[in-house]
Amino acid sequence: MESLSLLMEGFAGALTPMNLLWVVVGCLLGTAVGVMPGLGSSMAVALLLPMTFALEPTAAFIMFAGVYFGGLFGDSTMAILMNTPGQASAIASTFEGHRMAKDGRAPQALATAALGAFLGGFSAAVVVVFLAPSLADFASTFGFAEYFALAVFAFVATSSIVGDSVVKGVAALVVGLGIATIGMDPISATERGTLGVPELFDGVSLVTVTVAVLALGEVFHIASRVRRDPKTVAMTAGGRAWLSRAEFREAGPAWARGTAIGLPFGIIPVGGSEVPTFMAYDLERRIDRKRPRPMFGKGAIRGLAAPEAAGNATTGTAMGALLALGLPVSATAAIMLAAFQQYGLQPGPLLFDRAPDLVWSLLASFFVALVVLLIINLPFAQLWAKLLLIPAPYLYGGITMFCGLGVYALSAAQFDLYLLLLIGVVGFVMRRYDVPLAPLMIGIVLGPLAESSLREALLSSDGDYSVLVSSWITWLLYGILAVVLVVTVRAKLRARRGADV
Amino acid sequence: MTDAGFWHGRSGLVVPALLAAFTTYLLVGVLTMEVPEGTDFPGPRFFPLILIALGYLLSVLLVLHYLRHPEPVDTGDQDGGQWRTFTDWRAVAWCVGGFLVFALTIELLGWILAAAVLFWCVARGIGSTRGLFDASLALVVSSAVYLAFAQGLGLNLPAGVLGGF
Repeated sequence: MESLSLLMEGFAGALTPMNLLWVVVGCLLGTAVGVMPGLGSSMAVALLLPMTFALEPTAAFIMFAGVYFGGLFGDSTMAILMNTPGQASAIASTFEGHRMAKDGRAPQALATAALGAFLGGFSAAVVVVFLAPSLADFASTFGFAEYFALAVFAFVATSSIVGDSVVKGVAALVVGLGIATIGMDPISATERGTLGVPELFDGVSLVTVTVAVLALGEVFHIASRVRRDPKTVAMTAGGRAWLSRAEFREAGPAWARGTAIGLPFGIIPVGGSEVPTFMAYDLERRIDRKRPRPMFGKGAIRGLAAPEAAGNATTGTAMGALLALGLPVSATAAIMLAAFQQYGLQPGPLLFDRAPDLVWSLLASFFVALVVLLIINLPFAQLWAKLLLIPAPYLYGGITMFCGLGVYALSAAQFDLYLLLLIGVVGFVMRRYDVPLAPLMIGIVLGPLAESSLREALLSSDGDYSVLVSSWITWLLYGILAVVLVVTVRAKLRARRGADV
Repeated sequence: MTDAGFWHGRSGLVVPALLAAFTTYLLVGVLTMEVPEGTDFPGPRFFPLILIALGYLLSVLLVLHYLRHPEPVDTGDQDGGQWRTFTDWRAVAWCVGGFLVFALTIELLGWILAAAVLFWCVARGIGSTRGLFDASLALVVSSAVYLAFAQGLGLNLPAGVLGGF
C-alpha cells in the first residue's frame, strides 16, 4: 500500500492550481493538434517539447501528460468524423467509427470512443501505479548485457513489426543509430563523424531531429499533397453525445477486452499502439461473426469501443515502461524521454529514488488528465471539429514558424536551423516512400544506451561475445523477441492471403 | 499512363541513395577518426562500423526492391486533370525555400521579419493567393510570438535590424 500513499502525495503535488492549469492547457493543446487532419499526438508533443523548457520539470511533464492523452482523444475524434486518423493507432477506429458517423450516429460513436479511451487509460494508470515500482526494482538488477538486450528488443520489434517493409524499417533504424553516434564518444572521448564542424561536437540535438522528422517533414509532406488529394469533409452530427443503456451493454465487454489486450503491449516495445488496436479490432470481428446477426461493416459499436480502449491502455502502460525501464516504446514516448534528458533526468530504475515527487506527480496527473479530457471531449467533441475552419495555409504557416522557434530558442545557432531543414527534407522523403519514422526516433534515443552497454559489456569480458547472453534475463528477452517475431511473420503471411479490411 | 520510362515508379531509388550517402558520411568519419593510443577493443570505431556494413547492405537490398517492383504512381485524375508528378514540387519548393531564407536571415533581419517571411512562403506554398493579406497576417503572428516568447517567457530570439530603433 506504499504506492497508494505515494500516489496521494503525487495528487497533492499535481492538484496545485498552477499544475492543474498546466494539465488543462496540455489537454486543450493536445486535443486541438490531434483534431487537425493529418496531425497526430506525436507532432503535438514534438512541437511543444521546446516550449516546455521555460517551465520547471514537474509542470512540464504534467503538461506533457495532458498533451499526450489529449492528442489521442483528438486523433480518434477525427478518425470518426472525417475518416482521417492523425496517428496510425487511430486507424482501427475509422472502420466502424466512421461508418457509425455516416449512419448519423456520430454522437454515439464519439461517446463510445471517449469512454473507451478513458477506461483504457484509467486501467493502465492503475496498473502503472502498482507495478512500476516493482518493475523499477527488478530493472535495477540489470547490467550492461541486459540493457543491450532490451535495446535490441526495442530496435528489432519497432523496425520489423510496424510498417510493411522490414528493410525500410531497419534502414530508418540505421539512420537513427548513425545520427546518434555523431559527436563526442563518451567512453574514449574521441570525436566522431563531425568532419571538424564545431557545432557537431556535442552531437545532433534530439530536439532538432524530433521537430524535423515529426513536424517539419510533415508540413512538407502535406504541402506536396494538399492540392492533389480530394478534400475530406467532416460529418456533422447533432444531439448530445450519450449512450443508451442497450448501447452501454453492447460496448461494455468490448471496452474490457480492448483494455485487456492493450495493457501488456505498453511494456513490449513494438512501436506504439497500432498493433494492439488492430488486434482488439480483429478479436471483436471474430466474436461478431459467431453472433446470429453480425454487425460489423454496418457501424458496430464494439468495433470502435475495443480499439479505443486498447490504444489508450497501451499508451498508459507505455509511460510506465518509460519511467521504470527508461525504455520508449513509441515515437511519442521517445520524445518524452528526450524531454527528461533535457532536464538532466534519466528515466529508469533510479528515477523513482532520485525524483520521486516528480514521478508520482506525473502519475497522478495521468488520472487528472483523463478526467479533464473526458469532461472536455464528451460534451464538446462537436466543437473541436470547428477548428477545421482555420484555413490550411495559415495553420501550416504557423506550425512551420513554431518549428523554427523551438529549435532556435534552444540553441540560438543558425547551424541547427540548417540541420533542421536538412533532416526535415529527409523526413519528407521518408513519408513519401512509406519509410516508417518510429525506428529512426527509437534509434536516435536508444542508440547511445545500446552502444555504451554493448561496449562496456565487451570491455568487461575482454571481447568475449558470450557475455551478451550470459544471464537468464537476456535469454528471456531474446526468447520473447523470437516469439513476437514468429507471431508477426505468421500474421503478415496470413494477412497477405486474405485481407478483408 | 503514357510515361513508361525507366524512372516511372522507380523514383523510390532516392531512398537507398540517401541511405548510401549517409553511410558514406559515417565511413568518412570512421576513416578520419583520430583514436587515442591504447584504446581497448571495442573502441569508438566498433559501433559505427557495424552500422556502415548494415547501411550498405540495406542500400543494395532497397535498390533491388525498387528495380524489381516499381511502385506505379497514381497521379490522380479526381478533378479531371492529371499531374505529371505525384508530388507537388512547386508547393514543396515554396516551403523549403521559405525555411532556407528564414534560417539564413534570422540573425540579420531578426525574428519578426524572418519568421514573417517564413509564414508567408509556407502559406503561399499550401495554396493561399492573397499576398498582401498574408503578409500582414504573417507580421502579426510573428510579432505576437516574439512578444509572448521573447518578452514573456524570456526565450532568446534575435531582434535583428528592428532592434536598432
